[in-house]
Amino acid sequence: MRRVVLPALAVVLAALAVYPTVASGYGVRAMLQLFMWVALAGSWNLISGLTGYVSFGHIAFFGAGAYATALAIARWHWPWPVAALAGGVAACLLALVIGYPCLRLKGPYFAISMLGLNEVLRALVSYFEGLTGGGSGLSLPTLEATIPIYYAMGAVAVAVTALAYAIITSRFGLRLMTIREDEVAAEAMGIDTARHKLAAFLLSAAGPGIVGGLFARDQGFIEPLSTFALVMTITMIVMVLFGGKGTVWGPVLGAVVLFVSQELVWARFPYVHQLLFGAIIVAVVLLMPRGVLGVLQQRYRLPRTI
Amino acid sequence: MTPVLEVDGLVKSFGGVTAVDRVSLRLEAGAIYGLIGPNGSGKTTLFNCITGVERADAGRVLLDGRRVDGLPPWRIARLGVGRTFQTIRIFPELTAVENLLVVTEGDWEAACARARELLATVKLERLADEYAGNLSYGQQKLVEFARMLMRDPGLVLLDEPAAGVNRTLLNDLLDAVRALRDRGRTVLLVEHDMKVVMGLCETVFVLDHGEKIAEGPPGFIQGDERVIEAYFGR
Amino acid sequence: MTITPQMLGQVVISGILAGALYAMVALGLSLIFGVMRVINVAHGPLLMLGAFATYFLYHGLGLNPYLGLPLVMVVMFGVGALVQRTLVARVVDAPELQSLLLTFGIAIALVNLAQLAFTSDIRSVEYLTASWTVGGFAFSKSRVIAGVLAVAITAGAFLFLGRTRLGKAIRATSQSPDVALVCGIDVDRIRMITFGLACALAGAGGALIAVMVAIQPEMGQIWTFKSFLVIVLGGAGNYPGALLGGILLGLVEQLSSLLLTAQLSEAVSYVLLVLVLLVRPTGLLGGRAT
Repeated sequence: MRRVVLPALAVVLAALAVYPTVASGYGVRAMLQLFMWVALAGSWNLISGLTGYVSFGHIAFFGAGAYATALAIARWHWPWPVAALAGGVAACLLALVIGYPCLRLKGPYFAISMLGLNEVLRALVSYFEGLTGGGSGLSLPTLEATIPIYYAMGAVAVAVTALAYAIITSRFGLRLMTIREDEVAAEAMGIDTARHKLAAFLLSAAGPGIVGGLFARDQGFIEPLSTFALVMTITMIVMVLFGGKGTVWGPVLGAVVLFVSQELVWARFPYVHQLLFGAIIVAVVLLMPRGVLGVLQQRYRLPRTI
Repeated sequence: MTPVLEVDGLVKSFGGVTAVDRVSLRLEAGAIYGLIGPNGSGKTTLFNCITGVERADAGRVLLDGRRVDGLPPWRIARLGVGRTFQTIRIFPELTAVENLLVVTEGDWEAACARARELLATVKLERLADEYAGNLSYGQQKLVEFARMLMRDPGLVLLDEPAAGVNRTLLNDLLDAVRALRDRGRTVLLVEHDMKVVMGLCETVFVLDHGEKIAEGPPGFIQGDERVIEAYFGR
Repeated sequence: MTITPQMLGQVVISGILAGALYAMVALGLSLIFGVMRVINVAHGPLLMLGAFATYFLYHGLGLNPYLGLPLVMVVMFGVGALVQRTLVARVVDAPELQSLLLTFGIAIALVNLAQLAFTSDIRSVEYLTASWTVGGFAFSKSRVIAGVLAVAITAGAFLFLGRTRLGKAIRATSQSPDVALVCGIDVDRIRMITFGLACALAGAGGALIAVMVAIQPEMGQIWTFKSFLVIVLGGAGNYPGALLGGILLGLVEQLSSLLLTAQLSEAVSYVLLVLVLLVRPTGLLGGRAT
């Protein structure tokens, strides 16, 4: 298995590395967005796929990262790579503040608290106009950096996937899964579930924070509605559920399949496409709760790392 | 000698119902204790209070002389309390061996070896890499039992180990429990099957409506009037 | 800005009126949670359907929104029962993650169906736009009527739960489905009726706010969150707790919009939620753990 997978991975990564030298501007932009979705879906999987604590507001970390980065660039003139990392740090801090109280709650409470968090952050960003530009948005100085951002975004996508691999193959990852399977039993076996959940939550916030920062730099302009968009949380969730939650490659598969179909067909029918997302969630939950890879994994007794 | 477990005046109520009412117990090392009583007499609640799943309203719980009431369940588990549940609580989407591995600390290879060894003692070595959710009821019960032993707990709480288990399996389980005692571990078990309780336990506590109404060797308990009354009504 | 006792009095009364509405809508969410241990994320979007139904009854048939309300409730009962029977029933006994995701999917589908069917144009029902002035306090007529009707409907729901056979069966099922089953209660039927009832309450909420706010497909989401907040404040599955939670949320919102700004009142409610969950994870009145 390893002997096939590793060379194949190397080939794909090499192809992606040389891609900008041969591709059109549209191609690079599309791939950059795909990287973003891989990173977002993979991050959501770390908390929700592994521990079963569903975050309905994970895009809040993306938004927090985007605003932190944009402020660092526009107001304090930081170089963008540093600013994007600061976006990741900001998202982790937010996760710490929110996660400490909210992760003590059982599943549904946590889920809705996260939904609320996103709404509240959007309201706060709109309110503090002096700092954030409020509803009219925040512009960054112009800078042509699509290619470097392509590589940065790709690096985050790879990092998130590698992190997922490292976690899922570790004792830490198994313990996160025990929280999903039976939290009471996990505690009775001596597993400090609160600390494990918080750690997973922080790790799951870092990726979206950095990606949000790169997104802000790439767009050159952000405003609250499109930065704290519920539809983006929905998209991450659909990608992970479709591909297979709790697996390494499920979020990647989900991101590729759904992003490509979104680009090819659905983008022309915005509401139909979201309606389909809703329908996919319902269908996956009812008919294929493990997702595509989850089903293969169970049927052919494959490891979680496929 | 300091008792392994001392429960002192424990009270726990839900709403208006007092599930555990001023219960005191003393458990010495290297013995098997039984906890019996009619349905709803507070046995599982008492277990939950000892293991930190529920927080008692009053009273103390001491492990080897150290107060543990108010500690979270995982800390109490790390102090050497293992338990199984009335309804099996394994991790179905983890393999049998992973169910045991999550409990371990330190060296991974050594942990793997120990986990497989423990599974072998309950004759499950061939199913070690099967998802626990795919195992039969009895096999899951054994996985839960083996998982509980991973930390080598000094005090073992078993909630109805005999329920739903066939004869052969039951005898294996009972032998395993005796083996624990012979290694100096202390066992407290909730059980409805009186034959099991009588054949296994040195001391039996009887709960009724949350109160401890009797305590003593099985033979003595059987003749106690309050116990007969609690079971058969007046 | 100085705050006069006059303003405070106004805030308290508006808070209670709004709170009654919150309580009624949240009672629906609480019932579903109590009976099925499901948090229905689609509760707000179902309320949105109720508002659209009121709009079309008013503009299409010229039906007075308050007379349309019982009709909306009946229709929404049917919608709820159908959603439960066809979809939710399949995951009630699955891990809660499944039902949470399922109702999330239903919520997204409903909102976007509404976008397709009704477009995202902002609509309104102009009815009773004036205010009453009593002793120096001004009250928008629609808000007063909404508050009073919400109290009446909530009281009706409690009478139903407390006095009728069916209502008692619902409460028994939320105490313990196993015991209910043993007592000969058809638990599947009770679950369907409960879901229908909850949707009827959401629909009533939609009908009542249709005359107060802009009607558009995305109006519902915030109601999922508010209803959830109410049941957290009052204790999940604790039905009288929803009343207290509703009034409390109404008061906090009104007070914070007076002291800060309306925009921040949502943030204040959120902080309140987090604080309550930190101090009393089972709600102020205490509820049942999930």
